[in-house]
Amino acid sequence: MDREKKVRKSLMKDFLGNINLSRRSFIKASATTGAAVAAGSGLSFELKALAASTGAKGNGMGQWLPATCQGCTSWCSKQVYIVDGRAVKVRGNPHSKVNMGAGCPRSHLALQQLYDPDRIKSPMKRTNPKKGREEDPKFVPVSWDEALDTIADKIMELRNNNETHKYMLMRGRYSYMRDVLYDRMTKIIGSPNNISHSSLCAEAEKFGPFYTEGIWSYRQYDVLNAHYVLLWGADPLAANRQVSYYSKVWGDVVDKATIAIVEPRLSASAGKADEWLPIKPGQDGALAVAISHVILAEGLWYKPFVGDFKDGNNLFIAGQTVDEEAFEELHTNGIVKYWNLELKDKTPDWASEITGIPAEQIYRVAKGFGLAAPHAISWLGGGPCMQVRGGYTAMAVHALNGIVGAVDNVGGTLKANKEYTSKFPKPDDFMDDIAKKGKKHEKIDQRGRLHIPCLKSGKPGGAVITNNSADGILNDDPYEIKVAIGYMNNFSFSAPQPERWERALSKIPFLVHITTNASEFSWFADIVLPDTHHMFEKWGYVKAIGNGYRHVTLMQPIVKNVWDYKIDETEIPWLLAEKLAERGFDNLLRHYKTYKDPETGKEPSSDKEFALYSLKYATQQLWDPAKYKGGDKFDGWEAFRKTGVWNSDPYPFRKRWGKMKTKTGKFEFYSETLKAALEKHAENHGVGVDEVMKATHYLARGERAFIPHYEEPYILGDEKEYPFIHVDHKSRLNREGRSANCTWYYDFKDLDPGDETWDDVAKINPLDAKKFGIQSGDRIKISSPTGSLFCTAKLWEGVRPGSVAKCYGQGHWAYGRLASKKFGKEARGGSSNDLIPAQYEALSGSSAYYAVTRIKIEKV
Amino acid sequence: MPRYAMVIDLQRCVGCGSCSISCRNENNVSEGIYWSHKITETSGTFPNVRFHYIPTLCNHCTNPPCVRGCPTRAMHKLDNGITMHDPKKCIGCRYCMINCPYGVIYFNWKDGHSTWKSDNAVIPGVTGSPADEVRKVGGKGTPYYNPERNATLPDIRPKGVVEKCTFCDHRVIRGKLPRCVEACPADARVFGDLDDPNSHVNQLLGKFRPFRLKEAVGTEPAVYYIRDFSAAGYPRTKGGV
Repeated sequence: MDREKKVRKSLMKDFLGNINLSRRSFIKASATTGAAVAAGSGLSFELKALAASTGAKGNGMGQWLPATCQGCTSWCSKQVYIVDGRAVKVRGNPHSKVNMGAGCPRSHLALQQLYDPDRIKSPMKRTNPKKGREEDPKFVPVSWDEALDTIADKIMELRNNNETHKYMLMRGRYSYMRDVLYDRMTKIIGSPNNISHSSLCAEAEKFGPFYTEGIWSYRQYDVLNAHYVLLWGADPLAANRQVSYYSKVWGDVVDKATIAIVEPRLSASAGKADEWLPIKPGQDGALAVAISHVILAEGLWYKPFVGDFKDGNNLFIAGQTVDEEAFEELHTNGIVKYWNLELKDKTPDWASEITGIPAEQIYRVAKGFGLAAPHAISWLGGGPCMQVRGGYTAMAVHALNGIVGAVDNVGGTLKANKEYTSKFPKPDDFMDDIAKKGKKHEKIDQRGRLHIPCLKSGKPGGAVITNNSADGILNDDPYEIKVAIGYMNNFSFSAPQPERWERALSKIPFLVHITTNASEFSWFADIVLPDTHHMFEKWGYVKAIGNGYRHVTLMQPIVKNVWDYKIDETEIPWLLAEKLAERGFDNLLRHYKTYKDPETGKEPSSDKEFALYSLKYATQQLWDPAKYKGGDKFDGWEAFRKTGVWNSDPYPFRKRWGKMKTKTGKFEFYSETLKAALEKHAENHGVGVDEVMKATHYLARGERAFIPHYEEPYILGDEKEYPFIHVDHKSRLNREGRSANCTWYYDFKDLDPGDETWDDVAKINPLDAKKFGIQSGDRIKISSPTGSLFCTAKLWEGVRPGSVAKCYGQGHWAYGRLASKKFGKEARGGSSNDLIPAQYEALSGSSAYYAVTRIKIEKV
Repeated sequence: MPRYAMVIDLQRCVGCGSCSISCRNENNVSEGIYWSHKITETSGTFPNVRFHYIPTLCNHCTNPPCVRGCPTRAMHKLDNGITMHDPKKCIGCRYCMINCPYGVIYFNWKDGHSTWKSDNAVIPGVTGSPADEVRKVGGKGTPYYNPERNATLPDIRPKGVVEKCTFCDHRVIRGKLPRCVEACPADARVFGDLDDPNSHVNQLLGKFRPFRLKEAVGTEPAVYYIRDFSAAGYPRTKGGV
């Protein structure tokens, strides 16, 4: 091993020596009704037919069948190589215009997930009535029948006692079949408590584009036509979103565009960037407003979008207020107000001290970015905005796209293309009085209270605040939860301060978990149901955007089910509906029977039929030529299924200029949309907007609450006791939090710059390490005010002094033999969430993961 | 007969490692053994730091020291330029590993995929065991085992012999690209025939100044590199004294 390392090290030296002599310095300038296949036998007839028709290539032993990967939320269309009903290899689906046949490293790990020896083979039930982290649940296998009977009995108990609101559904990774289980079943049983994971994921990132241009969603970026790409905590070559597409084209983007990246850690994308701006954690807002200041002061804003001074003279002079009347605005709202209220004093010198970035670099990046207008992208990732005071940073970063006219423009930032999937039938007619009454209760996550406005799409209390549900459950506030189901979620691992979830889940009298692996969440469950793997065993579909297109890509059962799994979002709710009907409550089953097969008009009569029909129902307008609306055209369901993906029409540029879904119809620097939402929320609570600001930890008062602006970060912990700021980041091998039981995860962990194979390291700048007497390889304990973890120290130059970077993904104490050191007892590595306090960007409901806590390090 | 070579465009390479993971998968390679690998380095001092990544694999040298030093001719050249190994002739002396200047040959100290042989379940009765899984799925060594590797080389190499990249000779003979080339999302790897003047490989070698690893040792690798991984611009300066 040592020899090998030495050889490679010296190779690197030689190689770099060669490069120095190079020309580089001159250039740059089933499946079937899921019915699956009896175990042990070969492929079913349908599988064979599907295989045969999807281009089995000459003299290979298998066939490439279409699939969808949800290892990250790129949601790529894939193909899987199937040999004798076994999945053997994975590649990008060449039919997708979003990922264009490109794959990524994490997609291959899906094979090790599929055949993870620690997957649950059959339903199981807890035999130890005591619940807690220290209590072995003593799971024993039970039949599907017994498991579903028990669950149905518990739901009927709630219905009989008129307390259906005490039922709760927690959603983790989903497909767009989600509403069957998440929405319809919860409503028809009669509960308001369908709680998604979304605010653990990104809601603050949607806040920026919504309150400037009216889209509550992720964006896509026209990188091949961009001349400047400014990334903010986004790492498109490693994580979220369209890693495959951006990996495919980045070599060309590098040629055409200047790439600058703002992030305290040298990320995978930073390794290939022209400029790295290693900002002090939490200070992104200061940099964004300073860059905006320079662009306005230098007269580089994009006039065909923003407009211009009436007399043509630039009055944006540092420190000076501008008369609003002097400027004639075109497709934007409030550029002068933005200058007067925020930008006029925000010079690079001002920002330099706050951000730790040299003023020359700020000026250089700002000028380069402005000169590239309108083909300049300000690309917002989670880092700058999933912070306690990150909402306005999200706006400031996204507002840069407005200033340079990149919104909806060639070489700019785009929304999603149109697609034509359908919603499932409405549940209203199947909701009885109990259900209607039950649904009216306040939600368990307390969204919409004064301190947690959760202003999704302009609506107070519109967004989920996932992590706060634990407190709702713990405090019986607004009431107790008696029966809960979670699917493909793991909040006691994936949510900040997970110890709260351990207590909350222990407190729920009857908890069900639908999952592939016995996870940290399953540990507290009464019944655990074995789930299918989305990529190989499930019917479903998802939508994704990239490359100026949107695709809708199918999930299909394409392998033999090795054990007795069922599909989370369709088969299991159907089977439960049958059990409820047996008990005299048939509303849910009657509702599900309205999801008829669009081809035959037949109503479903089994879980397998239901899974297939509901998918055909939802996607009919994509594959049925009689209902064609746009994009790829198929001659029927079979053709769609064999291709596995539908592509939209190309992106219609600049169609939204002047017609944005904001209060003014324009791109809002002064957000009338946010003003209305905040005023509505304030009114709901009989207070003023200033009190809302105060209750949500924001410092802005008055008009500043309606414009993008800089706020000092809100970071927990005293600097003397906790000298470092914690920097969390994601791995290019993470399949969300679910790779840790795969050997390839560890064998290739050093694909994340700074990380090591078969270890979990905290990356510390050598200057800091020296001060604290720490060396690479030291076993360390990291503590924050709310928790601690153990891992290995790694000295690394790619991290800003004063901060410590650690990758999310390890630290499981359950999930499997490899994920944990001792299953159920001891974690392998440390999970960042054990350091991160349960704090929120309250305007969006988003959990705060970044610049949220200080930490200390001790050698152990 | 073609003479195969690979050009790796470092500017297109995004350092993602899809090559290495898909190679594991294609060739049923055990944990800890990297037919496809990388050299990485973080250079500089904060804040002037960059991360560099060079994908590596067997160089299929025209002048291969591993072949010359092999006492049993287990390591040999094919007519198409591929440096091939025959584990049946291998006596495990590891001279090839010592002679290879690139560290890309690995020795099997133990049987492959041994973790899959375990009969333990983490929750007895409810979860299976690795051995169960392999049996039930019907793989060999691993459940996701690729039988196509067996065409030209034992699908799983035994203990006591060496192994290394074969340019996916079993695919190439069927007219398919090496798996690392197919799986590279960035299209950073280009494979082809050096004897065909119009091959894409030759086009690139003519357009850019290529590099090979340790040219000075005279091994004449068939793996070429073009352009830079970190192709960053920088403000114009003459420095200072």
